[in-house]
Amino acid sequence: MSSKSNILGLAYILLALVLVGLQADGFVQNLLANASWNHVAAEAGSRPTFLLAPDLADVITAFVLAGLAILAIFMGANVAIVASAGTIFSFFVLTVNQEPIIRYMTLSAVLFVIGMYGMVVCRNAVRVLMSIELMLNAVNINLVTFAKYIDPALMRGQLFAIFILTIAAAEAVVGLAIVLAIYRNMATVDMDRFNLLKW
Amino acid sequence: MKVGLDTLLFYLFAFIAIPFAYGVLLDRKIIRAGFLLIGVFSAISGLFLLLNAQFLAMAQIMIYAVGITLVVVIALMLTNPKSEDDISPLNNWNKIPGIVSAFLVFITIYMSLRAENWTVRNPGQLMQDNITRIGIDLLTYFSLPFEFASILLLVAVIGAIMLAKQEKEITQNNSDENFDKEELTSEDKNVIKV
Repeated sequence: MSSKSNILGLAYILLALVLVGLQADGFVQNLLANASWNHVAAEAGSRPTFLLAPDLADVITAFVLAGLAILAIFMGANVAIVASAGTIFSFFVLTVNQEPIIRYMTLSAVLFVIGMYGMVVCRNAVRVLMSIELMLNAVNINLVTFAKYIDPALMRGQLFAIFILTIAAAEAVVGLAIVLAIYRNMATVDMDRFNLLKW
Repeated sequence: MKVGLDTLLFYLFAFIAIPFAYGVLLDRKIIRAGFLLIGVFSAISGLFLLLNAQFLAMAQIMIYAVGITLVVVIALMLTNPKSEDDISPLNNWNKIPGIVSAFLVFITIYMSLRAENWTVRNPGQLMQDNITRIGIDLLTYFSLPFEFASILLLVAVIGAIMLAKQEKEITQNNSDENFDKEELTSEDKNVIKV
């Protein structure tokens, strides 16, 4: 079971590498520009119009990578390997041709979304708090990026990040104290059993 | 296309941060997830160094990678990390709404970022002495929020102590009949006085 899941994970990584190479080679873009199903009928003389613009080739590659990752996970691949590899390759494809500011903000969006997923899905209350820390950190990356690229003279973004750091420390302390108090009363940290306020 | 050191380091830190963030969510042993959090925070502090935010990079390591992670790990140890197996398992079909919503949020953010026409100033204008600048700003223009932050931290610490302290008085009231005054140590007397 374990070896099968690892082999599936490695197969997914190889497949993703091939896809990223094809995308970097311009293969997907050419495919979109030349495929007949992609052309929408337009009047003669005007610019050709597309169903899927060739500029969006990287987005489409990222979608394909995500779909393959979900398929691999349902086939029984190692979830951590496939999710990390899929996210890394999609992130690389989506940002490699962009400006640095978009790269940083996309990384921040990736971390924010990972934290959001963890906050929604995890059952352990402490893990939920860890996910929230992850989300706050993603926001900090965003603000520091703004401080460098949008507002380099005043650097207000860095000051905002400092205040977020403060709030995050206070939030972590109070949140963990609440978790401890509930654990003392109910002997569990399962979010599903925190139903004291339910009527 | 010329690839600078900035780009290479950015992707290095990004490729460290993303798997570690997944590790925080997916690791079976939650105590290890707590330590993986250090990896994420360290990678992000490296990103802060790339973004010319030296003060924030150091503060990130001191507050997040050491302070908050320490608090999280202590809380994990107090709440019996082996009980992870008792927690009601979530089957795969219940995760699908989470995956779909996360994916949609990411696509929305990414496409709006890409469509925006960013007016990027020259990053060379960033002041070299930005730590001095942050200090001056914190004590002049941002002095009121700075003071509020200190009050907030004080309130948070007091509140956390009140929430997490052992409630001895209640147990003593329950066993009031066979309560023996002679066996009190000086420490217990202090607790009762409070």
